[in-house]
Amino acid sequence: MDRVLEIGGFAAGYCGRMFVQAGCEVVRVAAASLAPSEHSSEALDVYLHAGKRRIQTDDLGIIGELADRADVVVAETPTAQGLRDLGFDDWRAPVKAAITPFGRTGSKKDWCAAPNTLLAMGGYTYLMGDSDRAPLTLPGHYAEFQSGGFAYMAANASRLAGEENVIDIGMFESVMALSQFTTVMWTCAGEIRSRHGNDFVYVSPSNLYRCADGWVYINITLHFWDALATAVDRPELVVDPRFETNAARMANREALHEILAEAFAPMSTAEVLARATEHRFPCGELKTFDEVLHDPHLAERDFWQQVDSASGRLSSPRIGWRMDGVSPRPAVLSVQEQQDG
Amino acid sequence: MADGPLRGVRILDLTHVWAGPLATRFLADLGAETVKIESPMGRGPRDYPVNEVAYGWIGGDPGDEPWNRNAIFVKQQRNKQSVAIDLKTDAGRKTFLGLVREADVVIENFHSVTMPKLGLSYDVLSTENPSIIYVAMPGYGLDGPYSRRVAFGPAVEAMSGLSDVMGYGPDEPRNTAMALMDPVAAVSAAAGVVTALRQRRKTGKGAFIEMSLHDAAVSFCGPWLVDRQLGNPLERLANGHPEMAPHGVYPSAGEDQWIAIACRDDGEWRALCSVVPGLDPDANLVTRRRDCSEIDALISRWTACRDKQTAAEALQVVGIPAGPVNTTPDMLNDPQSRERGFFVPIEAGPTPMPGNPVKMNGISSADWTPCPNLGADNAAVLKGWLDYSDDRVAELERMGVIVDRPPR
Repeated sequence: MDRVLEIGGFAAGYCGRMFVQAGCEVVRVAAASLAPSEHSSEALDVYLHAGKRRIQTDDLGIIGELADRADVVVAETPTAQGLRDLGFDDWRAPVKAAITPFGRTGSKKDWCAAPNTLLAMGGYTYLMGDSDRAPLTLPGHYAEFQSGGFAYMAANASRLAGEENVIDIGMFESVMALSQFTTVMWTCAGEIRSRHGNDFVYVSPSNLYRCADGWVYINITLHFWDALATAVDRPELVVDPRFETNAARMANREALHEILAEAFAPMSTAEVLARATEHRFPCGELKTFDEVLHDPHLAERDFWQQVDSASGRLSSPRIGWRMDGVSPRPAVLSVQEQQDG
Repeated sequence: MADGPLRGVRILDLTHVWAGPLATRFLADLGAETVKIESPMGRGPRDYPVNEVAYGWIGGDPGDEPWNRNAIFVKQQRNKQSVAIDLKTDAGRKTFLGLVREADVVIENFHSVTMPKLGLSYDVLSTENPSIIYVAMPGYGLDGPYSRRVAFGPAVEAMSGLSDVMGYGPDEPRNTAMALMDPVAAVSAAAGVVTALRQRRKTGKGAFIEMSLHDAAVSFCGPWLVDRQLGNPLERLANGHPEMAPHGVYPSAGEDQWIAIACRDDGEWRALCSVVPGLDPDANLVTRRRDCSEIDALISRWTACRDKQTAAEALQVVGIPAGPVNTTPDMLNDPQSRERGFFVPIEAGPTPMPGNPVKMNGISSADWTPCPNLGADNAAVLKGWLDYSDDRVAELERMGVIVDRPPR
C-alpha cells in the first residue's frame, strides 16, 4: 500500500486517518512552531493520529526528503504562502494534495482562517441558530475533516489511475460544495435561505420536542405526515385544513408545534421511538456523548476501535464504512509520541 | 460526461434524497461514468405537485416537465446519465442485472430491506458480477437494534451527541436543522468507493460496503467522544470556543448581517487590539475567556457600524481570521469564488451550481454535463453497455419497463 506523508493540521490529519484505516503507512510531520490552537489535544491525537508514525520538525530538508520518497503527500498550511515556504512545489511525490483555507490561487489565497470563519464564509453559519438571535457556528472541525475527505478521495483516484497529480483543495470551497438547496433557493426561487432554530426550513413539522425523560427530533417530510398524526393518536390532524399540506403546515407551524409538544410531553423517548418505528417516520432521541459511548446499537455493530494512548486504552469511532462486514483497520491502534526530526 | 481520474469506472447509482446523490456527484465529477437508475416515478408523478416545491425550478418555472426541473433534485445530478427502469418487473430486473455485469460499482441508500425485496440483494448482484463493489447506505446499518428505524439526517444528528456542544447554552440544545450528517456520510461514502476500487485492483475481488448515516454521524463526533472518556468537560458555548478567545459571530451593518472572528493566539489578539479600540493587548487567554462578555461587547461596537466585508478585510490586513457570514448572493459575488470559477453555470437559466472543491490536472468543468432528463439515456446505455437492439429497446419502452416520463 501507499507510503503517505501527512503535514499540517486537522484536515491533513483527517485525511491521514483515512489512509491509516485503509492500511497505508502514514508518517505525520507536525511543525514545531504551531500556534497553540493548531496543536492537537489528546482527544484529537487519539482520534486523528492513532496508527501513524509522528515527527515534529521545522527542518525543510528533512520534510523535503520524506516528501520525495512518499507515494502521496498531504500538506495543509494556514495560507497558500505556507505551502510555498515548505517547498511544496519542489517535492517529487507522484501525488501531492494541498489543503489550505482558500486554495492556492485567487486574491484570498493568503487570507487566514479559523473553523468558524470558514463556516461563515461557506454559507453554513447563516443557516444555523434562532431567527431572532445571532447565527450559531458549528463546533469542531467540519470544514477541515470534510476537506481531508476530499483530499483522500482525489489522491486515491489519482493513484487508481496511475497518474501523477497535484491536488488543490480550499476549505472555503469544500463548505460551499456541501449545500443541499441553499444556493438554488436563491438562484431559482429568489429566496435567501434562513434559520429557524431547531426547525427545518421547508418541511413542517421537523423539530426537537421535549418528552418526559428527554428530547426527540422528528423530521416529517411529505410522506410521513399521516403516519405521525396516527402515531400521536391525533388522526384528525390529517384532515385539519390548517395542516393538510406541507404549505399549510408551514403557514401554521407554531400551532402545530404546540399540539405536538403537548402530545410528546407525557411520553418517554422510548415510547416515541417505538411509535415512530411502528408507524415508519424518522425520529431520533437526543443523546449525550456519554450515552453515545454506551449506545447498544453501536456496541452490537462493533463500532468502536480500541486505541492505546498515554491515558490508557480508549474507544475511538471507526471510519464511517464497513467493508465485507468489518471495518478496514487493525483491531487496536496506538498513539505514538512525537519524535523530534 | 466529465473527464478525470475515475474515467472508465462504471457506477450504477440508485440513490435518492441527499447523501447518496451527493456522494455519486463527487465521483461523477472525478470522471466516473455514472448512470442514475431511476424508478419511473422516482422524480414524482406526471401530475406533479408543483405547489409543494419550495426551493425553485431550474430556469425559473416548472415548464412542461416539472419532474425534470425541480432545482434541489437537479443540483445533485450533473455529469450523470439517466436510465428510468421499473425494477419491479421481471424484464426490468433482468435488464438491471445485465447492467450490473458491466458495472464496477452499485450504490444505493434505501432502507435495508428494499433491495432484497426487489430480488436485488448483494448476494444476487455478486453472483452476476463477483467483482462488483456494492455500497449500501442504510440509515442505521443492516443490523443492530435500530436497523428497522426510519432515518433522515436531522433525526440521526440528534443521536450523534452533537447537541451536547451545539446550542446557545446549557438548557438550549440546537440541531443544525440542515441535515448536516448527509454531507458527512456523502464524503465518507465516496471515500469508501475509491478505497474499494483500489483494493479490488490488488485482489481482483469485489466488496460489500456498508455506509450507515448513523455510523458516519457518530464517527464525525469522534474527538468529543474521546474527550468524554478522558474526563474532559464539554459544554455548549454558543459561538465561543474552549481554546480561542475572542471567538464569535458579531453584528455588522445592515439587517441580519454578521461577521465571524477568531483569535487563535496572543499575537492575533494583539493585532485585534490594534484595530478595535478599548481592548487590553496584555490580556492572556484565561483573562480573555473570563472577560469574554465585555470583550465581545467592544468588538460588537466596532463591527456593528461596518459592512461585514469591509470589516473582514480590515481584520485580515493585520492577520486576524475574520470572514463575513455569507448568504448565497454573497458567495456568488465573493471575489475568491469568482476568480477560481467555483460556481458553474451548468444548468439552464443559466443556473450557477457549486463546483467541486477538488482542483487537479485533468478535471475541468468545461466538459461537465447538466442533469439529464428522466430516462434520457435509456437507449444509449442499453445499447452501449448491453448491445441491445433498437427493437429490444422499443419493446421495453412499449412494455413500460423503461420510460422517459412518469407514467400516468
